[in-house]
Amino acid sequence: MFEAKLANAGLLKKIVESIKDLVTDAPFDCSETAMSLQAMDSSHVALVSLKLEVGLFDTYRCDRTINLGLSLANMSKALKCANNDDTCMLKYEENEGDSIIFTFADPKRDKTQDVTVKMMDIDSEHLGIPDQDYAVVCEMPAGEFQKTCKDLSTFSDSLNITATKAGIVFTGKGDIGSSVVTYSPSSNTDDETEAVTLEVKDPVNVNFSIKYMNQFTKATALSDRVRLSLCNDVPVVVEYPIEENGYLRFYLAPKIDDDENMD
Amino acid sequence: MSLKCETERSKTWNNFGNGIPCVLGIDEAGRGPVLGPMVYAAAISPLDQNVELKNLGVDDSKALNEAKREEIFNKMNEDEDIQQIIAYALRCLSPELISCSMLKRQKYSLNEVSHEAAITLIRDALACNVNVVEIKVDTVGPKATYQAKLEKLFPGISICVTEKADSLFPIVSAASIAAKVTRDSRLRNWQFREKNIKVPDAGYGSGYPGDPNTKKFLQLSVEPVFGFCSLVRSSWKTASTIVEKRCVPGSWEDDEEEGKSQSKRMTSWMVPKNETEVVPKRNVYFKERHMSNILTF
Repeated sequence: MFEAKLANAGLLKKIVESIKDLVTDAPFDCSETAMSLQAMDSSHVALVSLKLEVGLFDTYRCDRTINLGLSLANMSKALKCANNDDTCMLKYEENEGDSIIFTFADPKRDKTQDVTVKMMDIDSEHLGIPDQDYAVVCEMPAGEFQKTCKDLSTFSDSLNITATKAGIVFTGKGDIGSSVVTYSPSSNTDDETEAVTLEVKDPVNVNFSIKYMNQFTKATALSDRVRLSLCNDVPVVVEYPIEENGYLRFYLAPKIDDDENMD
Repeated sequence: MSLKCETERSKTWNNFGNGIPCVLGIDEAGRGPVLGPMVYAAAISPLDQNVELKNLGVDDSKALNEAKREEIFNKMNEDEDIQQIIAYALRCLSPELISCSMLKRQKYSLNEVSHEAAITLIRDALACNVNVVEIKVDTVGPKATYQAKLEKLFPGISICVTEKADSLFPIVSAASIAAKVTRDSRLRNWQFREKNIKVPDAGYGSGYPGDPNTKKFLQLSVEPVFGFCSLVRSSWKTASTIVEKRCVPGSWEDDEEEGKSQSKRMTSWMVPKNETEVVPKRNVYFKERHMSNILTF
């Protein structure tokens, strides 16, 4: 049996809305310690990794490791029935068919609503991301990163990220012109949520598809902060912490250099 | 493809009023429909001719029926006395132009297209030696932003951007009549460049998405490979939904380049998970029979 209760359905709504356009089907792996998900987009350029630890839930029970395959579109439809501040219970009984039950409760109105969603047989990805020692780790306000990506996407399909000890530079160059956004590490910011921090072991210069970055920044609703982990010729990690008890990570493979593209 | 948009002028537009102070009004017709062009019109009249404009019947174009609008528009084109009181210019934005603007990579919204048309008409009046001292515009988008934009472009001219300008200012109402009659006429007499376009017996209606005849025409005229004819604004949700449902699925090279071919694949860096991490798959036999492990006895 699997049973997990969240104090706010709004959190799960935000998570699903952040990833449903990137990944269609989600194989949720549930264990005693966490509910997690790893899935790639259809073109295998981006990967989503979600971890919701036990501490995030009001109650959590998972008798044995199970895989719950759900269509994110269907999950989104189910969650639309809930108000953001309703509690949300996810329940799966192995002997009660291949469905998962979402129970939304509104304590103020003494109201509960059950929504049953059919599960799918989704092959869980047997490949994982190896541990990586990143050359640059940058933390910044999530809204700031979202705006930067949106601004640069009007000029270019590609996002160039260059980072040195002096700062991190985001560049979008296209036919109509270019835009360059530079962040220097904040030294005296009173508000920690507004600070830009930068750990640089080695300089980095990488290019990514901005279309995907804009998809990732939908997760801005989940967190005030975003962490970018970068290394030359390695996928970038765009990480949004979830209330200190989980994370939503997006991995994006770098663009092929022009010289690699040549015959 | 008619992606060019020429300014069409009435007989007396050039040097209108021979330097006397004039008011210019701007309005459009056909912003919402899925079929046909959007027409922008500017009307000009001497500042002191408000009463004459009202006598012409242009007080509130919304209150006029089609026949009355056409009657007034004919006078604007044929009555020489009226032509000394009022002149107009038009910009007819084809469905293709609208769709291309809205679908190109650097998105160009309908508001921006509208602003551009209005600005071009004002510039044209000034270039044709009309002494424009006041401008009245029916707003598109937030009026304060639009007004500030126009004031920056045309300093020294008194500008008023407001909602329902056509019922407040006769000159805007005149522009509205010119735009509406022109759009209706172009839609009614549309010459299809494409062959074998199926038009329902009742015609294709007003062009608004809610019109049953328009709906019927869209369903009938969609071509499985090429989509819609040039009468249809294919960027409209109504049209693109039909294309998604009724046409052959297509993938655009541009999208593929952006997604697949230009980026490496994540799988190049991924390694097999530890076997302990892999969630074992249940045998179908157990799943079908809803059998579960007994954990307590």
